Amino acid sequence: MSLSLVLRGAVRCNAANLVKSARITPLKAYSTIVANAQRQTLKPLALTKMVAPVVREISVSAPRMASAESSHTAMWTLERLVSVGLLAIIPAAFIAPSQILDALLAISVVIHAHWGVEAMVVDYMRPSVVGNILPKVAHIALIVLSVATLGGLFYFIQNDVGLANGIKRFWAIKGKDAEEKKQS
Amino acid sequence: MLVNEARQVLSRASSLAARHQLRAISNGTAQLDQQAQPKEAKEPQIKKFEIYRWSPDNAGEKPHMQTYEVNLRDCGPMVLDALIKIKNEMDPTLTFRRSCREGICGSCAMNIGGINTLACISKIDTNTSKSLKVYPLPHMYVVRDLVPDMNNFYEQYKNIQPWLQRKNEAGEKKGRAQYLQSVEDRSKLDGLYECILCACCSTSCPSYWWNAEKYLGPAVLMQAYRWIIDSRDENSAERLSKLKDPFSVYRCHTIMNCTRTCPKGLNPGRAIAEIKKLLAGFASKPAPKLETAALHK
Repeated sequence: MSLSLVLRGAVRCNAANLVKSARITPLKAYSTIVANAQRQTLKPLALTKMVAPVVREISVSAPRMASAESSHTAMWTLERLVSVGLLAIIPAAFIAPSQILDALLAISVVIHAHWGVEAMVVDYMRPSVVGNILPKVAHIALIVLSVATLGGLFYFIQNDVGLANGIKRFWAIKGKDAEEKKQS
Repeated sequence: MLVNEARQVLSRASSLAARHQLRAISNGTAQLDQQAQPKEAKEPQIKKFEIYRWSPDNAGEKPHMQTYEVNLRDCGPMVLDALIKIKNEMDPTLTFRRSCREGICGSCAMNIGGINTLACISKIDTNTSKSLKVYPLPHMYVVRDLVPDMNNFYEQYKNIQPWLQRKNEAGEKKGRAQYLQSVEDRSKLDGLYECILCACCSTSCPSYWWNAEKYLGPAVLMQAYRWIIDSRDENSAERLSKLKDPFSVYRCHTIMNCTRTCPKGLNPGRAIAEIKKLLAGFASKPAPKLETAALHK
């Protein structure tokens, strides 16, 4: 009985130390801490191997402490403002087509889509899963894609009928059936 | 001395009798429910439970599902009752956490039939044609069977400093007088303080699955908001400034799985939205209606 109490105490102390060390030390040194802490606990437990349950490796990942280095607040606010702005810009661009409104529409739609896909890249291209290179490649590719899209739309607005008019014309295309109906 | 012992024996006996009575009553009601069906209800009602099994003792063993057959006629109504029955009567190696069996401790949080909930307050589906699948909380490291490793979750909770913080700690001696809070200010904590930290919401959140070490998760964020909005707490600005990085709060994409799954019917999604509003300056914490430290003067 007393033996098991002592054992339990040892394990508990170890767990407490682990948590403490996880908070103070950076992630890189963490694996060594786990290894060392385990070595320490194994010594007293070696005597009573038969009685004690197997000591399991406790995986404590140190949560990122308050990161003063970057504030995401302004970015979030901008994202919300663009989302709300789209509600006004999209109908306005179609009601009164002009180059300025077309440009606004192009910018806001592209940046809105860019942020959405960026969140997907951050969530699903995690370094812990796909390695360190692929997330960066994916992010850069996304930026290239977004810039190219915006450039293309600007070119279309400048040298052609414009974005809203272009979409309107696209929708105005009628099939053969419609023409036949008109004639008859 | 003797009298005391006699009293103890008596009380023990009476409590035993009471327990028997209670059992009789609960069995009676259980039978009544089942007698609503036709007379052949005496037949055993066998329900299959498929339970996730993995033990670190068997080196190299892969997790697998093990099926147990439980007669619902002699089993309590909740999933936890069935788990305890399986552990007591069929397989003592089945491991799970449980304590209060009434939905207030949060120990028995697990994934039952695809939904994160507390085993003690979720009824067994009496449709015996389907088996009930029980998994540990999703995307957590498993210690054994249905027991997840909660260390990261608790560490994150610790990280938000879940206690009342005052600027003038020296002037307001602990225990000398109470802090004042108006009824209106207190009502802001309703729907926040009831959280039992069972982690059902956090482990149902895809953002928490993908970024558990950086994103705090709905349960912890709701508690962060509980302290930010408390009229007695004076460290709201510091608390908020700790959350403004791209991951702690902003990995929340308003998926709302947290609110959908909460076994206590709370709304962590709303609390996170309130934090975002406070951070962006769309809302601000109102001044306390009562002077909090008035009785300390």
